[in-house]
Amino acid sequence: MKKLFVLLMLGLLLFVAACSSEGAASEGETDDSESNGTTANTDTAEESSEPQEKQVVTFWHSMGGAGQEALNAIVESYNNSQDKVQVNAEYQGSYDEALTKFNAVAGTDSAPTMIQTFEIGTMSMINSGNIVPIQEFVDADGYDMSGLEENIVNYYSLDGEFYSMPFNSSTPVMYYNKDAFEAAGLDPEAPPETFEEVEAAGRAIAEANPDMKGFALQAYGWLWEQLLANQGALLLNNDNGRTNTPTEIGWTEEEGKSIFQWVENMVNDETFANYGTNGDNMVAGFLAGDVAMFLQSSASSRDVIDNAPFEVGIAFLPHPEDKERSGVVIGGASLWMIDGKPEAEHEAAWDFMKYLQTPEIQGQWHVGTGYFAINPSAYDEQVVIDAYEEMPQLQVTVDQLQETQSSYATQGGLMDMIPQGRKIMETALETVYNGGEIDEAYDAAVEQFNAAIEQANAARGE
Amino acid sequence: MSMNSVAIRSHESMELIFEQAKKRQRMKSWIKGMLFLLPSIVLFGVFLFYPLLRTIYLSFFLTDASGETTVFVGWQNYMNIFTSPIFLQSMKSTFLFVLYTVPITVFISLFLAIIANEKLKGTGFFRTIFSSSMGISVAAASVFWLYLFNPTMGVLNRILEFFGMDAIGWLTNPDWALLAVSVTTIWMNIGFTFLILLGGLQSIDSYLYESADIDGAGYFYKLRRITIPMLSPTLFFVVTVTIINAFQTFGQIDILTQGGPQNETNLIVYSIYREAFVNYQFGSASAQAVVLFILILLMTALQFKFGERKVHYQ
Repeated sequence: MKKLFVLLMLGLLLFVAACSSEGAASEGETDDSESNGTTANTDTAEESSEPQEKQVVTFWHSMGGAGQEALNAIVESYNNSQDKVQVNAEYQGSYDEALTKFNAVAGTDSAPTMIQTFEIGTMSMINSGNIVPIQEFVDADGYDMSGLEENIVNYYSLDGEFYSMPFNSSTPVMYYNKDAFEAAGLDPEAPPETFEEVEAAGRAIAEANPDMKGFALQAYGWLWEQLLANQGALLLNNDNGRTNTPTEIGWTEEEGKSIFQWVENMVNDETFANYGTNGDNMVAGFLAGDVAMFLQSSASSRDVIDNAPFEVGIAFLPHPEDKERSGVVIGGASLWMIDGKPEAEHEAAWDFMKYLQTPEIQGQWHVGTGYFAINPSAYDEQVVIDAYEEMPQLQVTVDQLQETQSSYATQGGLMDMIPQGRKIMETALETVYNGGEIDEAYDAAVEQFNAAIEQANAARGE
Repeated sequence: MSMNSVAIRSHESMELIFEQAKKRQRMKSWIKGMLFLLPSIVLFGVFLFYPLLRTIYLSFFLTDASGETTVFVGWQNYMNIFTSPIFLQSMKSTFLFVLYTVPITVFISLFLAIIANEKLKGTGFFRTIFSSSMGISVAAASVFWLYLFNPTMGVLNRILEFFGMDAIGWLTNPDWALLAVSVTTIWMNIGFTFLILLGGLQSIDSYLYESADIDGAGYFYKLRRITIPMLSPTLFFVVTVTIINAFQTFGQIDILTQGGPQNETNLIVYSIYREAFVNYQFGSASAQAVVLFILILLMTALQFKFGERKVHYQ
């Protein structure tokens, strides 16, 4: 038995050795080819006096569809605008998937130079210790971050320090079918603003056209967080985790249940369209005229406007009648600088990040996707002004953000368990969609949410 | 006397040398055997045994987002999952899923294999068709079914509406979602099961049927008394493999429902994935994985104990 074990270990050792030597060999190869490249370059440099080989920056992102096209165009224009840096943008799947891949390669040579991570990944990125805070580059470069949109600065700066570079930001908005509003005798230019008005509009629409449902809410935890924030409610205690590590949920029973009640009213009225957790199906249903209103990120606005065979309206996120509208939390993602890379590579990536903040690029990005410009001076760009002429709806997303009151509620929750919390709320919402008891669904969700917070704190040894 | 003792001694030493040579021989053949086994020992060690031990180890800890252990919690992870309504729900769903998929898959495949085994013109064509779903990847098949189930433009709802019935939220209604995923899985598994069963049918000696014919046995009598018993080893294999596959279902869940609605289709493997790579709780994910491992081990052992008795090996 002992011999067997020794043999096994020996075998393992051999295997590992073979692996590592192979790795070393292939590394050597790439080194060779690189140095070949350099010599080739210096050869040409001697002839045409061109500078050194370009510094390569690997950029992992999660932009699919229209976003990917717009992003690739920007990266290409950056690569063509100068000859020192070559940015390679690599699509790595959804934010979740990219983050999982990143955690697997963090600290190795395969890690990218910079990665785009969603807003709720902020805390786990900081906790991971694999990143360089952007503030270091801002200070070293004397770069002025005050030009950025105020609400974005609020979200991404912690104790006055930027850990990541804001990039693509969106907020949730309500899309509605203007033609259906007209057919139901509603004013298409005065979309419903409160939960109660949405219910009434839904009833009117369903009455005018029995084949069309009034309203759809994707079971998506992010929308739940936004509907809370719009009432001025916190997601987590300790000021949404901004003053201290959260220990339990931050909303009150009244605030939380108002959303459930709203949905249940519409389910009972049979004006609610249930698409479960699938956002694509919901958009497809809207475009096909199955449902007249739905909530979704403003990032889809360009897609929806372009593809709808009818006039699309975009409105602010609804809120309960007895509450004042408090505004929305920034959604979307930011760019992180990864630790353990040569300084030249960091500098190159920093240069690219600065390029992304320029008004021209932000204008192009805003118009091409529906994410808003994080640099407000982009709104003065000609390309934006032209687009607003054609699609005034795009402006609503910007207005909503600028009317948001700055508070802990609209700064958004900050904790590493938020992805888990979202799943919990999605399950609870689905229960209500399918006719489940509100009280039961709500209590179960709160209990699980608190347990998740406790577990996350315990895992950090707190 | 002395001569005698010398002879005995030499005989003893001869025996000793012989013993040693035999030992060396045995050692040599053992090493040779091990060398032959080494590739698979190394591969299994690296890709199966090490991860298995590591999983068991992790299941006693809490971890950070990169999977490093932080706090030792003993059996706490196990206690948590067995009191968590989400995990209990996913256990229940998994058993229901196995119940929905395994018998139907095997029954349909058996039926198709028997009719495709008839020596008729054009059977080759049908054999290809029946086994074709084997050539489709889980992802492609799931996307295909996703379109069939689509609430707005899905064919299934169109058909229902044509007959004047209400549209069904196939993947969003908790009463239907698990059934919808099961239908998809059955469709996907039929190809493989069909092919194995057809192979089993074709390896049955034809003289058995010939003698039965001479005795004047009818079609169904032959099916019951010859085909099924002779096919039993293949059937046993197919049932075991389908059950294990059903317990490990992941791809179609990820694409069709993501475990929703209300965790109704959150099968164990998907729940493990979510726990580890969405919630970053590698500890409790590992505990779930260990539970799944024990479950499959038990199921397979039970099958060998009770199922194999009825199997007729030639």
